[in-house]
This record gives sequence, structure tokens and C-alpha cells, in this order.
Amino acid sequence: MSAEPEAAPVMAATGDVVVATDLTKIYGEGDSEVRALDGVSVSFPKGQLAAVMGPSGSGKSTLMHILAGLDRPTGGSVLVDGTELAGLNDQKLTLLRRDKIGFVFQFFNLLPMLTAKENIELPMKIAGAKPDPEWEATLVEATGLGTRLTHKPAELSGGQQQRVAVARALLSKPAVIFGDEPTGNLDSKTSGEVLDLLRRAVDEFGQTVIMVTHDASAAAIADRVLFLRDGKIVRDAGRLSAGEILDTIKTLE
Amino acid sequence: MLGLVLRGLATRKLRSALTAIAILLGVTMISGTLVLTDQIDRAFVQIFQAGNAKIDVVIKQKPPFENVQTSVYLNATIVDQVRKVDGVKTADPFIQTEGYLIANGESLNSTGGAPSFVFTSVAEDLNPYTPIEGRLPEASGEVAVAKEIAAKGDVAVGSKQQLATQDGIKDVTVVGILQYGNGDTSLGGSTTVLATLTDVQQWWALEGKASYIYVKAQDGVSQGELKDRIRSALPQQDLIVQTGREDADEQAGQLNDLIGKIIRYALLAFAGVAILVGAFIIYNTFSITVAQRTREFAMLRTIGASRRQILASVIGEAFLIGLLASVAGIVLGLGLAWGLGKLFGAIGFGLPATGLILSWQTVIVCLAVGIGITVLASIFPALRATKIAPIAALREGATLPVGRFAKFSPIIAVIIGVLGIAGMAYGLISSGSTTGRLTTLAGGAILIFLAVAMLSRYIVRPVVSVLGMPIGAVAGGVGRIASENAARNPARTAVTAAALMIGIGLVVFVTIFVGGIKASFTGAIDSSLKSEITVSARGFGGTIPAAVLPAVQGVEGVQTASPVGGTAVQIGNGGYALIGIDPTTLPDVYAFDWTDGSDALLGTLGTDKALVESKIAEELKVKPGGTIDVLSISGAKATFTVVGTYTDPTILNGIVVDQPALKPLLQSNATGLNTIFVRVADGTSVETVQAGVDEALKQFPTAQVQSNQEQKDQAASGVNTILVIFYALLALSVVISLFGIVNTLVLSIFERTREIGMLRAVGTTRRQLRAMIRWEAVITSIIGGVLGVLLGILFGWAVCKGLESDGLVFVFPTSQIIIFLVLSIVAGVLAAILPARRAAKLDVLAALSYE
Ligand SMILES: Nc1ncnc2c1ncn2[C@@H]1O[C@H](COP(=O)(O)OP(=O)(O)OP(=O)(O)O)[C@@H](O)[C@H]1O
Ligand SMILES: [Mg+2]
Repeated sequence: MSAEPEAAPVMAATGDVVVATDLTKIYGEGDSEVRALDGVSVSFPKGQLAAVMGPSGSGKSTLMHILAGLDRPTGGSVLVDGTELAGLNDQKLTLLRRDKIGFVFQFFNLLPMLTAKENIELPMKIAGAKPDPEWEATLVEATGLGTRLTHKPAELSGGQQQRVAVARALLSKPAVIFGDEPTGNLDSKTSGEVLDLLRRAVDEFGQTVIMVTHDASAAAIADRVLFLRDGKIVRDAGRLSAGEILDTIKTLE
Repeated sequence: MLGLVLRGLATRKLRSALTAIAILLGVTMISGTLVLTDQIDRAFVQIFQAGNAKIDVVIKQKPPFENVQTSVYLNATIVDQVRKVDGVKTADPFIQTEGYLIANGESLNSTGGAPSFVFTSVAEDLNPYTPIEGRLPEASGEVAVAKEIAAKGDVAVGSKQQLATQDGIKDVTVVGILQYGNGDTSLGGSTTVLATLTDVQQWWALEGKASYIYVKAQDGVSQGELKDRIRSALPQQDLIVQTGREDADEQAGQLNDLIGKIIRYALLAFAGVAILVGAFIIYNTFSITVAQRTREFAMLRTIGASRRQILASVIGEAFLIGLLASVAGIVLGLGLAWGLGKLFGAIGFGLPATGLILSWQTVIVCLAVGIGITVLASIFPALRATKIAPIAALREGATLPVGRFAKFSPIIAVIIGVLGIAGMAYGLISSGSTTGRLTTLAGGAILIFLAVAMLSRYIVRPVVSVLGMPIGAVAGGVGRIASENAARNPARTAVTAAALMIGIGLVVFVTIFVGGIKASFTGAIDSSLKSEITVSARGFGGTIPAAVLPAVQGVEGVQTASPVGGTAVQIGNGGYALIGIDPTTLPDVYAFDWTDGSDALLGTLGTDKALVESKIAEELKVKPGGTIDVLSISGAKATFTVVGTYTDPTILNGIVVDQPALKPLLQSNATGLNTIFVRVADGTSVETVQAGVDEALKQFPTAQVQSNQEQKDQAASGVNTILVIFYALLALSVVISLFGIVNTLVLSIFERTREIGMLRAVGTTRRQLRAMIRWEAVITSIIGGVLGVLLGILFGWAVCKGLESDGLVFVFPTSQIIIFLVLSIVAGVLAAILPARRAAKLDVLAALSYE
């Protein structure tokens, strides 16, 4: 256990935090072979909010898992904050996730027996690090959880729980935050709150966020929208409106 | 429904296996015990039947009262009358006594607490021993030895050796090497030497006496017929006439009562503990799985399953697990019995090779207990499963409804606890039969265990908050999660811990109890004895030759050598020791703890007054001024007036009289001398005097010379052996409770799969995850260990207080308790190995998407 988390990425604003080159992921063999990713190359610069979209089974989750070091590609390479993931053993990969990557999951995935505050601090506690109190105060302020910090997840609404999850991901100032359908389990009002928070994380705190989503209005707040189909990136666009996004999706299906 | 049950078992293999193990080990112990004790029982019968194979009728003396360990003898001259009876071919007096061969200076006595026998040689057609080399002894000074001894000491036929007798060491010549029966049967670890009747009578002060008369019938006369003829020729009321077969069965039965039954009930008691622990684990496992399967049961209800069918499916699962575990336990029990038999053999306590006996009773008992307990333990969880409403199938995260009686459970627990305390108190204080008292005592202890198990859910939280801090300090965030996980389902953690609590509690209890026995002995030596050296009898019916006393008195540096003797007597219906002392010398070596009286009474005892130990006085309801009627083992009677009472449940535990009063009550072979307390003159070294006494008593192998410390050490080592055996037996229960911890952890991890996935995703290393589970196990085991230690201390204290008048002393076993607490932590760490591995192996992605 290293005592201190690594400092927030010092890479120049133009530097790419995540670089994927020629990623392939093949499940199964022979007739039942599935190419979940088929030669994906993509980079994400620091300070960008990127949305990944695509029909079901297009490989969004697979891509995100591989970029986040949760799964290994069949071929290709991934660099996160300058570190090549290929060749890292489980221990090193775990430490990399701990120090450089934040996660927001669809099912909030909080520990039910810990309070909101304890859940926010969880990854840092596991790392044996002390959260920066000023930064934590800023985050609490931004998430609007101030009065609910001592509550257990069961006493929080879905939106509040997901905001706790976002704060948890932000607390260690990771190089990049991944979200797999972070609003997939929320109604439109509460998902708005969460998206707002993610947007502020990028705008105010300079975070990098990559999220997979099915929701056009969620993707519409992103700086960049990627479209996947059959394991390939078929469109890499900048900021799009919800209508433009829906149009693109239609052409994909 | 059965198909569903079977499918369920198959898909939950690990859980089913772990549950089965909990009950399997207990059943193994029951089965092993029954098989082993059946084997011992059969072995005893075989030994005695082999011994009596050639003997048609046995005549023996009826002891004046039952339950005496001392041998009684008959008048050997009646053999002449027997020989005249029509149909008698051969009749010989036979004596069975204790002694051993000293070959080339080395004592070839028995091992493992078995006796060292000296038998008189009887006519070849009666003798259970046959020479495989040489012949039977015929002339004075000749002996023959069993082949086991010959092998041990390299004793050749024709060699000159020595024999340790009651009368000192005698020179003998070995004339034969013998085998018992057909050579297959050994007498456990005992040793046997055969000598002539006249030698044995002389060397063991048994002139004119015999243990038995052995009779061989002429061809054509049956055992029963001959017995009847001899009975009519010998109508004396105090003689017993039996056929060889009857005598063999009776002796086997007596020995079995003494050894086999004690082993059987002691082992079954420990098996019972193991089963109780298993029941806790089964209850817990079923509670957890029923809770986890809430959705499944609800779904079954929506598709039309009735409550009864749900109940049947859970109980059916329990029945199957119980059945499989019991069958496996029976088979493993055979292995256990075999292993124990081998172990006995290895420590010189060999049982005859009779083969393993799996009786129908064993099978039925094992199945009934194994299945019965499993089903019983699953009933409450099964009933809760029937309470699940169909609607729960539709609700995300539906939980088991709270039982109707849940809110009363603390009250019920308290009632059970109070009943338990009452049971223990009754068992300790009442004056009922020993069996009844032990049963209420044990029942009370079980109820207290139950009550504490039920109540301990309320202490899980507080304990976790206390332990959380140090654990958090050591293990950081992971420790914090572990503490919270342990406190998440307090009932689950509590029952898991309770299983361990029982084992640890009993370990602590026996430690205190056995420590109390040890302390009572050492305490008695320290407080009562003013002497520094004790000469006592080594076996040999507890008698030492009269010539030992002057020999000791003659040693330089001996200030006082005070003789003490005794015999078994019956007063009312109870057996006691009548102790003869020397009033002039005793006060110099022994300090009376008077309850009523003073040392001045000693000189006034004469031949008709006695002092009574205070506990015995209470039992006999006599006070100074009252009288007691004693019946001695020799058949003689006497009446004494009680003049004083004193307390000593250990050294002079009996009725004290002046030596001249004891003499008429002794059997003819008893010297009336068992012990000599030796006080060393001031300014003389105890070691030097002890060496001098040793030297002076060289000729008396039956006299054992010990310093006070050696006496304490001897008592301690005997007691420690028992303690080790108890520990070994209780270890099984502790092991079973470990499976309980494993089971609970595995089930909890299964429940928390997605959390584990999340923890791994946000950077928890495998090592940290393993540590987290280890800490949770350690918290559980600490709760179990601490509760067990507390209950063990409580039980130990209560029993020591209750048996205070028997000399039991409560000693707080500080160092052992620290060891047990450390061991329970180690137990937690061990139990966590498998679950921690499983958790660490979980694939992060698969765990994250797990529902
Ligand atoms: N563990 C696996 N084994 C075999 N095939 C898999 C596995 N995981 C994913 N796949 C396949 O890979 C392809 C991509 O799956 P992926 O989960 O990345 O899709 P997705 O875009 O996230 O879909 P959705 O929008 O439904 O979540 C699919 O065809 C899927 O069936
Ligand atoms: Mg997906």
C-alpha cells in the first residue's frame, strides 16, 4: 500500500490522458467468435467530457472496461496518464486504478453500511491516504450533499446516491473518470443533477470524464460524442445537440 | 419438490458440503465411540473367555459389600472338599496379585496404567497360559513369564532374575516363556509372571488363601452339572460358585463397567458437544440461505407453491444433508475407531485384534442423531421461509419478514438463561444421585450457552465499535469495512461466534476444573504436611511390608517416621477409607485442620473412638458424640464413637482411628501400612535423607519414596494427561465451529459479490480484500473467544465453589486464557483462508455485473 496517492495529472492541457491504439477484443472461438472491439484507436485529451454511444452490443462497455483497466484487450495498447496497461500484473493494474482512475457505475455501488461521507472517502481510505479537507469540502458543496453526509445509502435517493458515487470518484483527483451509464438507473430530473455535477467536474475542476450512455440528452452535455457499431468507431463528433445525436443513432440501427 | 431440493443441493455444492461437515464430524465421533467401545467390550469378553477356556467351574469369595476395588480371598483349604466332589477332574487354588520381574536390574512392569500381574501356576489342564518354551513353574523359586515380557527384557529360559513382591525382592529362576490362550490375545499393556502357589502365598502374606478355586470337569460332566454338585457340597453363603463361562462374562462386565462404559459416556459427551456446535452452524446456514433465497421462494409462491411445500422443500434439504452427513459420519467413525485402536496400541495399551464391529444400534443412533439434529436446526429457518409473501418476488431487494416471535426473543433468552443457571445451581448444590446432578449440570450449561448465543447479537455492535478502533489503526480502510461487515447482520455473526464460544468455553472450563483438582492436591500437601518425604505403596493393593517402617526409622537424619494404614469399609450404604494412624508421631508430620476438636484428641482414641473428615461427617450425619458402625472388607465389624471432625478431602480423607483399632479389621494379607510420612531433622538436607531412605528401601520395590515436590509433580502429570485428552476431544468442536465461520463468510461473500467487484474496481488489491475478510473472521472469532472465556470462567468458578468441600480450589488460569484468546484469533485467521481466496479470485467485471 503506497501511502500517498499520486498527484493530479501534470500533463499539459493538450496532452492525452487516455490513448488507445488499434484495440481488439474477441470473445469465444471459431464459429461463436464475437469481435466486441474491432480495431479501435482513440485518444481523450485532458479536461474533456466524452460520451460513448451506440446500439446495444456495439462494444461500449467492452471499450470502457478495457480503457479503465478492468479488462484486457485481445490486441492493441492502452496508455492511461502515460502508463502502458499491457503487461501490468493484477496488483499493478489495481494500484493504477486506485491512483489514476475514478468510477461511476450504473447501480450506484455504494457500501450500504457506510455513511455517505465514508463512502466518498472509501477509495482514499483503502489507499491509506488522507483526503484533502478543502477539496472534500468543495466537493460536498458541489454535490449539495452537505446535510446528508451522515446518512446511509438506504436513506438517500437514487440521485443523491449517484452524486455520492461521483464525489467518491472525484475525491482522489484521478487522471480520468469512467462512467458506464451513470444515469441509466435514474429518472430525468435526478439524472440531470448527476450530469450537471459531471459537467462541473470538467469545467470547474479540470477533470477528464468518459461516459457510456444510451441517453441522447446525457450525451448532449458532452464535449465530444463517439458512436460505436460492431466494435468500430463509426463517428467521432464534437458537441452535438440531442436531436443530432438521435439522428446519428437512427442511421446506425 | 424433491427434484427441486436435489437440484438446489447440487447447485449449492460448497455450501451444502460445509453444512454437512458441521454435522458429519459429530456423527463421526458418535460412530467412532460406539464402534470402539463395542470393540473394547468384545475384547474384554474374549480375554476372559480365553482365560477361562479350560476352566469349568470357578469358586470365589463373596465380598462383604459391593463396589470395592480391594481383592477378597477365600480359604484355600476348601480345595480338598472340592476335589472329593464327583465329576471333578482337577481343582487348584489360584491367586491373582501384583508384582513384576526385574531382569538384569531393569523393572519389567506394565505400561499405560495396566496392572503388573503375578499369577499362581495351576495344573496344565486348567492353566490359561501354555509354555511356548520351557515349562510351567513347579518348585519354589521358579517362575515363568509371558512372551511379551521375555521380548522386552531379553529374558532367557534358565536365566536367574529377580521378582518384586510385597515382601521385597526375591531371587527366581525363569523356567518358561508363556503365551495366553491361543497366543492372539494380549492383556492390554499388562505384564504377567507365573509362580508357584506356596511362593505367592508366602511372598504376598496370603498363607492358606486363594483368589479362586479353578475346577476342571471329568469328560462327560457338563459345566452346569458340575457347578450344581459343587454348590451342594459347599453350601457356605459367602462362597460364589459359577461356571467358567459365567465368571468370564461377569469379569468382562465388571471391567467393561469400569473402563468401557466410562470411555463410552465420556466420548459420547464430547460427541454431544460437537453435535450441539454443529446444530448452531446448521441453524445459521439455513437462516442465511433462506434469507438469500427470499426472491426464489416468493417466485415459487407466485407460481402456486403452498406454504407447506416451501416448508417441505427446506426441511427436505436439511433431511438430505443430514442423511448424507450421517452416512459419511458412520463410515468415518469406523476409520476413527480403527485409528484410536492403533493409537492405544502405540502407547502400550493394545486391544486384542477383534476387528471393527458396526452394530445396528450404532447405525440407528447415528442416523437418528445426525438427521434429527439437522432437521431440528432447520425448522425455524424453514418456518420463516413459509412467511414469505408471493409479492416479494416483484420487489427489488425484498427481505425476509421478521418472525412473529422476534420481539420476544430477548425475553425468551433471559428465561432460558435463568433456567440454565437454576439447573447448574441444582446440579452443584443438591444431594441427589451423581448421574442426576451431572445431567442437570450439563443441561443447565447447555441452556446458558443457548441463552448467551441468543443474546449475543446485542453485543456484536458494541464489541465491533471497541475492536474497530485498533483494527482500523492496523488495517486502515479495509479494517473499517471488515468491522462494518461483521456488524451488518448481528444475529448471523452472533450465532457463528456462539458455535466457537461453546468449544472455547468448555476448554476454559476443563482447564479451571482440572487446575482446581491439581491445586487441591498441591494445596493439601503444602498446608497439611509437615513432613518432607513420603513413602507410599506402588500398586500392590496399596500395602507395604511392615519391615519398611523400622528401615526408614533407622536412616540417619530422620526425625519422625509416622506410619499410616487403612482399609476399605462400608458405613451405611457408602464406601469409605478407615485410616489407622500413630497418635504419638502424627502431629509431628501432619497438621489437622480441626472443625471440632484438637490434637489432644489423638492420644485418647484407643480402640473405640474415631475422628471423621467433615464432609463425610455431613454425609453420615454424625457429630462428635455420635457413633458409626463399620463393616470392613475382611467381613469384620466394629463400632466407633466420633470424638472430633477435621477437614481434609485429599490426604486423610476418611475416618481416622488409632492403629490398634484398625488391626482387627484388616484382611489377613494386609500389613496395615500404606504410607509413611517422614520428617527430616532440623538442619539436615532433605536430599541426603531421601537418598538414605532410597538406599534403605532397596530391598522393598513396592515402596516408593517421594519428596513433596515429586508427589505434586506426579499428581500434576496424571492430571495433565487427562487435560490433554480433554483438549484433544474439545478441539473437534472448535474445528467444527471453524467450519461455521467458513460457511458464514462464504455465504456473506456470495451476497456481497457486487460490492467486492466495486471495491476491486476502485483499487482494493487482492491482498487487501483477503485482509478484509480475515479481519471479519477474526472479529467473529474474538467475539466467540471472549464469550467462551467468560462463560468458561463462570462455569469453572461455579463448579469449583460447588465442590469446595471436596477440596476443589478455583485458580484463575491467566496464562492459559491469554493462550486461548490468541488461539481463537488464529482460528479466525485459519477460517478466513478459503473464503478470502474465493473472494480474491472473483473476476472484477463478473462481480460488478452480478445481480
Ligand atoms: N464476457 C463475454 N463473453 C462473450 N461475449 C461477450 C462478453 N461480454 C460482452 N460480450 C459480447 O461483446 C459484444 C459487446 O458487448 P458490450 O457489453 O461491450 O456491449 P454494449 O455496447 O455495452 O451493449 P449494451 O448497450 O447492451 O450495454 C456483445 O456482442 C456481447 O454479447
Ligand atoms: Mg454495456
